[in-house]
Amino acid sequence: MIELLGWVPLFPFLGFLILILAGERLSKPLIAWVGVGSVAASALLAALIGAEFLNGTMQPYRLVLGVWMEVDDLSIPFGFYLDALTVTMLFVVTGVGFLIHVYAAGFMDDDPGYARFFAYINLFVSAMLVLVLADNLVLLYLGWEGVGLGSYLLIGFWYEDPNNGYAARKAFVMTRVGDTALLVGLFLLFTQLHTFDIQLLMLRATSQWTSGSLLPVAAAALLLGGALGKSAQLPLQSWLPDAMAGPTPVSALIHAATMVTAGVYLIARTHALFIMAPSVQFAVAGIGATTLLMAGCSALVQTDIKRILAYSTISQIGYMFLALGVGAWSSAIFHLLTHAFFKALLFLAAGAVIFCFHHEHNIFKMGGLRKAMPLAFWSFMIGSAALSALPFTSGFYSKHEILLAVFDASPGLWAAGCLGAIITGIYSFRLIFVVFFGRKCPVTKARVGWQMSVPLILLGALALLGGTLKIPLDSVFPVLFNHDHTFDLVSVVTALAPFVGLLIAVLFYLTHTFSAQRLAGSGLANQMRIFCFNGWGIDALYGALVVRPFKSIAKLNKNDAVDGIYVAIALLSRVGCSRVSASQTGRIRWYASSVALGAVVIIAIGWLS
Amino acid sequence: MNGIPMEHGLLLSVVLFVLGLTGVLVRRNLIMILMSLEVMLNATGLAFIVAGSRWGQADGQIMFLLILTLAAAEVGVGLGLVLQIFRRFHTLDADSLNGMKG
Amino acid sequence: MNSNQLIALAPIITIAVTAVAVMLGIAVRRNFILSCGIAAVGIVIALSTLGIASRESAVRATLLILVDAYSLFYMALLLSGGLAVLGFCYDYFKEREGENEELPLLLLTALLGGLVLVGSSHFASFFIGLEILSISLFVLIGYPLNQSRPLEAAIKYLVLSGVSSAFLLMGMALIYSQCGELHFSGIGGYMTSRDNISAMVLSGTLLIMVGLGFKLSLVPFHLWTPDVYEGAPAPVTAFIATVSKGAVFALLLRYFITTYSYDYTPLLTVFSVIAGLSILGGNLLALLQTNVKRLLAYSSIAHMGYLLVAFIAGGRISSMWVVESVSFYLLAYFITTIGAFGVVSVLSTPQTEADDISCYRGLFWRRPWLAATFTLMLLSLAGIPLTAGFIGKFYIFTSAADGRLWGLLLAVIVGSGLGLYYYLRIIVVMSMNVDGAAIKPPQDWVSTAILAVLTMLLVWFGIYPGLLVNVIQSVSYAME
Repeated sequence: MIELLGWVPLFPFLGFLILILAGERLSKPLIAWVGVGSVAASALLAALIGAEFLNGTMQPYRLVLGVWMEVDDLSIPFGFYLDALTVTMLFVVTGVGFLIHVYAAGFMDDDPGYARFFAYINLFVSAMLVLVLADNLVLLYLGWEGVGLGSYLLIGFWYEDPNNGYAARKAFVMTRVGDTALLVGLFLLFTQLHTFDIQLLMLRATSQWTSGSLLPVAAAALLLGGALGKSAQLPLQSWLPDAMAGPTPVSALIHAATMVTAGVYLIARTHALFIMAPSVQFAVAGIGATTLLMAGCSALVQTDIKRILAYSTISQIGYMFLALGVGAWSSAIFHLLTHAFFKALLFLAAGAVIFCFHHEHNIFKMGGLRKAMPLAFWSFMIGSAALSALPFTSGFYSKHEILLAVFDASPGLWAAGCLGAIITGIYSFRLIFVVFFGRKCPVTKARVGWQMSVPLILLGALALLGGTLKIPLDSVFPVLFNHDHTFDLVSVVTALAPFVGLLIAVLFYLTHTFSAQRLAGSGLANQMRIFCFNGWGIDALYGALVVRPFKSIAKLNKNDAVDGIYVAIALLSRVGCSRVSASQTGRIRWYASSVALGAVVIIAIGWLS
Repeated sequence: MNGIPMEHGLLLSVVLFVLGLTGVLVRRNLIMILMSLEVMLNATGLAFIVAGSRWGQADGQIMFLLILTLAAAEVGVGLGLVLQIFRRFHTLDADSLNGMKG
Repeated sequence: MNSNQLIALAPIITIAVTAVAVMLGIAVRRNFILSCGIAAVGIVIALSTLGIASRESAVRATLLILVDAYSLFYMALLLSGGLAVLGFCYDYFKEREGENEELPLLLLTALLGGLVLVGSSHFASFFIGLEILSISLFVLIGYPLNQSRPLEAAIKYLVLSGVSSAFLLMGMALIYSQCGELHFSGIGGYMTSRDNISAMVLSGTLLIMVGLGFKLSLVPFHLWTPDVYEGAPAPVTAFIATVSKGAVFALLLRYFITTYSYDYTPLLTVFSVIAGLSILGGNLLALLQTNVKRLLAYSSIAHMGYLLVAFIAGGRISSMWVVESVSFYLLAYFITTIGAFGVVSVLSTPQTEADDISCYRGLFWRRPWLAATFTLMLLSLAGIPLTAGFIGKFYIFTSAADGRLWGLLLAVIVGSGLGLYYYLRIIVVMSMNVDGAAIKPPQDWVSTAILAVLTMLLVWFGIYPGLLVNVIQSVSYAME
């Protein structure tokens, strides 16, 4: 079964091809069957392969499908590499991906671009699978670019509205900055270590380079740059809230469970390199901590239901980066897994709410949905509980593990993480209390189809019970410290932090003991609120630093001086053409004299040279 | 014929050639052009004969036979074409045949 | 003449016999399909005799013709090209009134001339082959002899061909007068025995170049090209553009290699000038053309310029590589040009020739497969990757770079850039929107089959040229 690994990314790609070539002519159920079925086949195959792998010796397995490029002594194969980390990622991408596809079949039902949607999302899934399965950096980069393309196509899916196109472009350009850093890092690694194969690179890096010297630091920093772009961390994070312009299944799949975790995967994959560059690794932790606080604060003041979840995603990925930064590799990946479950659950439930409110996103226009939409309510409860890491949810196990490991590395970072947990509790329950409690707002439709309900139920179960699904990653990552923190002060404080947040949220939004409006009414508080609302002004910063100067330089060159060269060439050619074609007079004697003249000239040239 | 140097013979044939060429370039009547073409071809034939005679080989004369034959074939086809052109255009002016240009 | 030599001459003899057979067929019964069929069968038989005619070493079939791997390769190329053109001729002429049965006959005689040309190793067969080819072409261009444009084109071609043949003969005579040899290797012996050649031999070679330059439509002997291409029927244009030029170029290459004329810089200088002027002139002239046939004519001038660049490089690099580059490029050029003119001939009706660019407007919407084929052919002419034309261009570039011909390389690059403009313009016009109902195309299954085969070959050789390159390399070894 494991030899069929190559089919896992191939099924969605075939789905993409079929739908892009013939999608317009197929009936809607058939489109759904192809679109969802291809990912279902991948998921089934991945499950079987994963089971076979985990029951075996867990030795890494390599499958080479052929040589992609071969120049001189450089040979880049189409190779796939399967180890415990890959298996985890496969489960996330195909499993959660499959559930989201089923949901999307219901959510996008009355959209005219049904076939196009499934084609794009299949393309995305196949690119993501290539990314996680790649055994060499070039193939990984192919998957990396592929997911970027898929993300662009899907964010701007409803292209008639120019704002969506703008959001898609913003996402693409920002991640491009990161991609360029990644590419330079790739080249650096290749020129120094002469291979693209990831395992070989790690081996050679550890044996040839000394820890902390310039080369590993530079390479790791560049790879980090790439990861920052794709995973929406500081300073390249402001594209993610705008990317919520895409359909909700897209937000769930790409911007919660898969693409944004690609950066985390990259760092985890190349962890040996990061271990060799402690300064960069510390930067990872620092960036993670800062981002999680920033994004948490921003999520606190948002009014759009999806933007709250977007900022929450940025924040949670900050946790993963924090874990990677302190060396808790397997904890980061475990949190990736559980985050995929509960964040997808939250997004899909939000989608159900939006669907029933006929695409209204403002949470303050909703209310009292507890009775009207019980499924969405319970999904949100479970999801938020897991998000806040309330005990015995899957989120609890992963976040707890991270914070304990962080404490061992740096108590300061741990404090930031706890503060973040409090804030997470506040905003996630704020969302629930505003939308599901309080004054009732009328709903346009209350029933959602089975395609949307079943995935919600399944994801709810996973979010609750997923803590048991921890895949042993010891075969991949070095095991670090092993302090036992059960039941000491640190672990108690960590466990209680979300409850503090829950309490604050109850006080402000459920019982209305305190009023958020009055708190934010005063000048300074209002300024802070606006500041957080705009994502800590990062967009404004970029606008002033990058966009405005660029536009003014572009305006200087309005008449396009460089283009003048090309215009001159074109003009020259035209003039040349009209002059030369004057020689075609159509008269025989003229032609004959040209032959004679030509003969004389070439004899002259021959004699004279 | 070993009194006349080869160069003189070649010079004669070149002069004839140039005369024929001038005829092609100057005359406007299609039949005159074809005649001048004949002159050119025969001039080259003369050159072959002179060259062959210098080397004492029969090759020059053989080439002349071939040239003659093929010139005749060419002119035969040419006259047929001229006939058709006259039927179509009602003129034999070479300069009036300039429908295609540029 | 022993039996060995006769067997070696089998392809030529077969074509000659087929021509006679067609003539007899016409005498017995005037039927266009019959004469086309006999001609086609004859060409196919000639192709199969190529295998019989090939031997371990070259066969000198009389002093005039040398049958070795090189000539057999080009004979195969010419015969295949002729067969494709015959197919297009069938579809083009079957609807037209008038007696068209002589057309296959003329095609066969022209092919015969071409076959003799590529096998020739003597001035006599050189001249005879060239003239048989030319005279057949005079009538073919003017076919069917009752319309003004073809007649005008035919008389222009006739007069100019006569003039250039006269120049050719004069050149041959001058060389003969100095060497005393009409055989190529004899001339080669003369050339190597001297340190520098006399002015007469130099002038003679240059005059031969005038004659060949006319046939290959190189600047400044190119002025006939657009008029003749425009006036002749589309399949005949395909024939002139490919078989005629291919045969002459093959001969030029053999002549130059066998007579060691590469060692003389004055000749190479002249060639460089001609090549540069052809590339630039051809591309500039085509830039603003609206007549597709004239455009393809001008572009063929440029392509011959490119080919000449590879040829010139032979002065500095090994002739084996030159033969390989030239042969591949000619093969790609054959496929592309026959394909392009095939499309033109398929689109032509008995009332109008499809030469104005307005006939191609919106072709993608009316006849998508045809437009796709034409697009591929144009992209191959432009040298876009994944087509055989790209590999050919690549060979040219490599030859120029190996031979350090930097000026010419720059000319090739500039020319390719200019060329891209007018090729793409046609593609853009084809994809423009056009209103109006789609007319049901007539059933030209022969042409369609040929176009399909040509397209597949184009893409195959573009993506995986390995097989073909092996064949060509074995051919070029024979020239060493």
